[in-house]
Amino acid sequence: MSSRVFVALRVKATPERAFAAFVEEIGEWWRPNGLFQTTPRAPGRLAFEPGEGGRLIETLETGKVFEVGRIRLWEPPRRLVFSWRQASFPPDLVTEVEVSFEAAGAETRVSIEHRGFTQVPAGHVARHGFPDQALQMRLAEWWRDQLQAVVDRLS
Amino acid sequence: MADRSTLTSALCYRDPKAALEFLEAAFGFELVMLIEDGEGNLAHSEMRSGDSLIMIGTEWTDDHKSPASLGGKNTQTVHIHVAEDIDAHCERARAAGFEILMEPADQFYGDRTYRCRDPEGHFWTVGQTVRPVSREEAEAASGLKIDGWL
Repeated sequence: MSSRVFVALRVKATPERAFAAFVEEIGEWWRPNGLFQTTPRAPGRLAFEPGEGGRLIETLETGKVFEVGRIRLWEPPRRLVFSWRQASFPPDLVTEVEVSFEAAGAETRVSIEHRGFTQVPAGHVARHGFPDQALQMRLAEWWRDQLQAVVDRLS
Repeated sequence: MADRSTLTSALCYRDPKAALEFLEAAFGFELVMLIEDGEGNLAHSEMRSGDSLIMIGTEWTDDHKSPASLGGKNTQTVHIHVAEDIDAHCERARAAGFEILMEPADQFYGDRTYRCRDPEGHFWTVGQTVRPVSREEAEAASGLKIDGWL
């Protein structure tokens, strides 16, 4: 069983609008964070290629494109699962992110679950020296900040 | 970082994942953060109710215990203030398996309140303000001297 962090927030939008904002506008709302750098370079601009098998890519200032992951499950406007790899990860390590959109009255509850991050080996640079629990807490706080960015975009 | 109120309660449960479910069923608390280790054990969790958070955790040291491990003893209770329909709130808690210790009743200070006990023995109190009461009226009704009446 893999470790997981789960965060959820409500946005003032329909699931359709929230899903579209998450996928199509990630380049606008994404907040890069030094602890969970996708690449060692200055943060670029993220974009999804919609549909199963589509990539989540980051285009750096140099024009170089880094593949963060691939879409494993594409169920608009309810669910999205994609793989997640930071450039610093060991070669065989892939983690997984699931995003869900659940109608809650006039709002939508958007939740993010990131699985398997504690597979990053002890002593590895992507851990910043954190033991599992601290690493997971920082990861959860970081995803909560990303969700807050989605909330802000939709409010 | 999402907004945080100044005070947040953290409760210990023998089975915190069961607590996440019965607290949602009873009170409509919404899970906003959950951290699990590689064995699926809960490491940390937070639920939101209105503008407040509550943390639901394990018996994480020998001195952090659920009432279920202490013969039902509590040293604190958490109070929930609702805006409307406290009787329906109580029925929802009852349906979720909470024991109603005191049915909803109007109090001298203008709130209607009830008390309940969750499946692990934590006490919860719930109140709704149903009419404005002056300090003089509350003092007359209770026989208490009251300072700081809002």
